[in-house]
Amino acid sequence: MEAPYDDRLLHQRVVGGDEAALGEVYDRLSSLIFGLSLRVTRDRVIAEDITQEVFLVFWERPLAYDPDRGTLRAWLATIAHRRAVDHVRAEERRRVSALGPRLYEPEPARLEDTVLAADEAKRVRQAVTALPEGLREAVELAYYGGRTYRQVGEELGVPEGTAKSRIRLALRRLADALAEEEV
Amino acid sequence: MEPVERLYLDALMEEPAVPERSLRPQLLAGARARRRPAAPTAAWAEPYASRVAAMDALLASAADDDWSRIIVEGWTLQELVAHLAAKDGLLAASVGAPVLGPPIGATDSLGRTADVQNHERARDPEQTRRDWRAQADALCRHLTDLDSTTLAGMDGLDAPVRDHVLARGLETWIHADDAARTADLKLPHPIPEHIHPTADLCARLLPWTMLLSGLDGSGRTLRLTLTGPGGGDWTLPLGVSDDPGGAGDPDACIEADVVGFCFLLGGRGDPESFPADLKGDLGLARDVLTTAPALSGP
Repeated sequence: MEAPYDDRLLHQRVVGGDEAALGEVYDRLSSLIFGLSLRVTRDRVIAEDITQEVFLVFWERPLAYDPDRGTLRAWLATIAHRRAVDHVRAEERRRVSALGPRLYEPEPARLEDTVLAADEAKRVRQAVTALPEGLREAVELAYYGGRTYRQVGEELGVPEGTAKSRIRLALRRLADALAEEEV
Repeated sequence: MEPVERLYLDALMEEPAVPERSLRPQLLAGARARRRPAAPTAAWAEPYASRVAAMDALLASAADDDWSRIIVEGWTLQELVAHLAAKDGLLAASVGAPVLGPPIGATDSLGRTADVQNHERARDPEQTRRDWRAQADALCRHLTDLDSTTLAGMDGLDAPVRDHVLARGLETWIHADDAARTADLKLPHPIPEHIHPTADLCARLLPWTMLLSGLDGSGRTLRLTLTGPGGGDWTLPLGVSDDPGGAGDPDACIEADVVGFCFLLGGRGDPESFPADLKGDLGLARDVLTTAPALSGP
């Protein structure tokens, strides 16, 4: 999935050292990145730090992002997710080591690693399967089938707006379901 | 990214939230400290300032062995950066801006390049990078209050300072691209607003590149169509003394990609296999393309 023209232009401007472009990227995506960081860490202060760091990393190393490989939103979300997960794991380690020694230390994850380990990806797929029929179909068509909102609507025989709201409701349920499992 | 990963990240972003106080001012201040923005300068010099910032972003990710890798002209990355600093310094000297590095001895590009390279070879590549950036930024700051039509001279060529600065921008762009290729990185193009004046300079140079190659295009007219963001149409008299406003009906037409065309003038790519759509006097159109790299030096 390639990045849209807007992403490319903002990326070009950031590479060219245009601070205003960084401000625009922040205005457009910070609430998503903060929301994601908050979801994973459940700590507003940590989520703020992660959000700030994600945009700083993009500014400092803009050539690490390749618009041919995905949207800016997905790229920043990947970095935020990685940082948030690292934080959560570090917290767990701290808690565990307070209770006693650990049998093994997981390898620290790197920026370019995949978002989800194989077992985590399986868990997400299972959570999709557990969604109510109408939501599951919509989300499968959109993500696994690569359809647009309009195409999802056509295939399910519902208006585009309905398709869109089903997908969004499905995503929200998924996030809740996955968060519950973690507790 | 796997569809299931995209799905997962989108699910996590389905509840956007806003920090209690805006992180924006703090972010921008932090950004300045981590990576210097493009130097403030006159609007007409921004294409150059932005290529300097882009090159610097590329250099920021250079590891120790990247600096000693040969990029072009038999030069290592460090020597290439010293070469850019040398030419920026000559332009700075010509407009009364501060000249950094060793005192000016040789005043031609190649001589000054050799002087600066000799000076920098003894130093750490990061110092070379800082010197180059400081020279470029000092030039940018000086240009802020300079009239774009002020005459400046480099290598015996007198032209409005604006054209020299656009040429510096093109050279910095091309060398950043050279370095990115060696490092296996993709360097995005400049924004269309910066490509356009650069392409305009390249178009206006065509009578000169022909003449330097021994071809006199006097009285002939070229229609040049450059496609892609930043492109445009030019109707150009091909004689160096022809009235630029007095172009007649085109004798030949060339249509090509705008970035490819700028790079051709900059000596990148083979004119024989350059992808272009030619019409009218094909011999003339081919002459224009074949001679286009004539002004490109190291």
